[in-house]
Amino acid sequence: MTDTALAPPFGVFVRESAAELRKSLRLPQFALPTIVTPAVFYGLFAVAMNKAGPEAAAYSLAGFGVFAATGPALFGFGAGVAVERDTGLIELKRVSPLPAGAYVTAKLVSAAAMAAIALVLIYALALVGGVRLSASGWAALLAIHLLAVVPFALIGFAVGMRLNAKGAIAAANALYLGFSIVGGLWMPITMLPPWMQHVAWITPSFHLGQMGLWAIGMPSQGSLAAHLASLAAITAAAAWLAISGWRRSPA
Amino acid sequence: MSRIDMATVAQLTGVTKKFGSQRVLDGISIDVRAGEVTALLGPNGAGKTTSVGVLCGRLTPDSGEALLFGLDPQRPAARARMGVMLQSAGLPDVLTVTELVTLQSGYYRRPREVDETIALAGLEGLEKRRAGKLSGGQQRRLLYALAICGRPDLLVLDEPTTGLDHEARRRLWATVRDEANSGTAVLLTTHYLDEADALADRIVVIDGGRIVADDSPAGIKASVAGATIRCRTGLGDALLAALPGVRSMSRSGATANLLVADGAATARHLLAADPELGDLTIAAASLEDALANLSASLKEAA
Repeated sequence: MTDTALAPPFGVFVRESAAELRKSLRLPQFALPTIVTPAVFYGLFAVAMNKAGPEAAAYSLAGFGVFAATGPALFGFGAGVAVERDTGLIELKRVSPLPAGAYVTAKLVSAAAMAAIALVLIYALALVGGVRLSASGWAALLAIHLLAVVPFALIGFAVGMRLNAKGAIAAANALYLGFSIVGGLWMPITMLPPWMQHVAWITPSFHLGQMGLWAIGMPSQGSLAAHLASLAAITAAAAWLAISGWRRSPA
Repeated sequence: MSRIDMATVAQLTGVTKKFGSQRVLDGISIDVRAGEVTALLGPNGAGKTTSVGVLCGRLTPDSGEALLFGLDPQRPAARARMGVMLQSAGLPDVLTVTELVTLQSGYYRRPREVDETIALAGLEGLEKRRAGKLSGGQQRRLLYALAICGRPDLLVLDEPTTGLDHEARRRLWATVRDEANSGTAVLLTTHYLDEADALADRIVVIDGGRIVADDSPAGIKASVAGATIRCRTGLGDALLAALPGVRSMSRSGATANLLVADGAATARHLLAADPELGDLTIAAASLEDALANLSASLKEAA
């Protein structure tokens, strides 16, 4: 019976994603910090204050690119989901004939788009700082940096389904800074105290940062296989936490 | 196996639901039929919103069954012909009326034109305004617009007129009535008696998670009390309450108010007992009288 059929899912996914991105861009208090902060940090520490040359700027680029992806993912998902759960918007989406996953997919697409904007700024600064990579090097780096959105978005989602808006914003901030520092996104991991270098293994930021270094032929720790396996495990755990939170939530 | 006749679009059968140790629904059975407005009436905390939650697939019943167009409400396909207006849903502040209506319309296969939806909800002239800049009443109307934009066969309205002024309430009632007249099944929850009385073809009274009554507004009035008698009399309270057919009485100054089974019969006894009786009026009991009496007799029974 055509009456009970849903609207064509692809169109719904596209429109939902566009609406989500529009929402993000119309909230300057969200869009500006998440897009600009990584570029300012990178421009300041890795380009303007850099005395070690383009090599160091390229090394930093691997980590700061991951940092640029964490903001939209943790805040757009973590805080965004918690706020929309508090206001009852998620409830409205749940009783609407929305294809399963459209709400979450739209948030993911929006976070990836915001991350892409932040990445363009950082890559431009890297060029200014003298970083020169092969086309395949840039492509691999971009792929890793965009991939970084996924685990952080799932972690943000899990947080957002469990905490209220205020708690989720606080948690997202703590994770934003914690993952960046412990994961070695701002400074080489080897400069951190040994215990932090151990903790780093359970952060997605560490693995993504090291994969970035590997992609551009810089010295990195561990093997690519180990990073991919760890990242897959962390992502699966975050996905499980997120989905169980979604199922458990009455609203 | 449950049997659904052609007109029934949604059905709860013996649904129970607990939140923690609190039993919120205690065996609720409701049929919602095409072209009919069914009002779920009851005080706050009676289980109205929870019943709606189960019917919409937002909550899973502990026992019993919920069917939406013959399907499990948790399946998106079951919701394709339903429009829902929730009691409180904060819409994204930064999106405009047109953007939100367009987005919601896109979830349905044969939605209304966006302009038509906006006109039906009384939002003309506010198309470009962001949701966050709307007044409380305008936001309620926007939620109503989102509920009707998909030309639903079932319209679920959870406390639709809370926060609306008198004029806006009347307008909303008129459009809901139009929806039902064109064949849409409407389920509405309310704690306003006049709303249930004005809109509903059927009233399901719910209290403490149970159905207390399920009848037409006229039927509920008739089953509980026949009439109210108002008069000025010198007779004492005890004497009045003891007259045949009197169910309850109250007094304000010299005026007595009696809720009775049969207005004419009791009036004859009254006139015989008090030759001085004045200002006698007999009226059919209002729904409010009926429900007050219903709750009172339930409490006595408990």
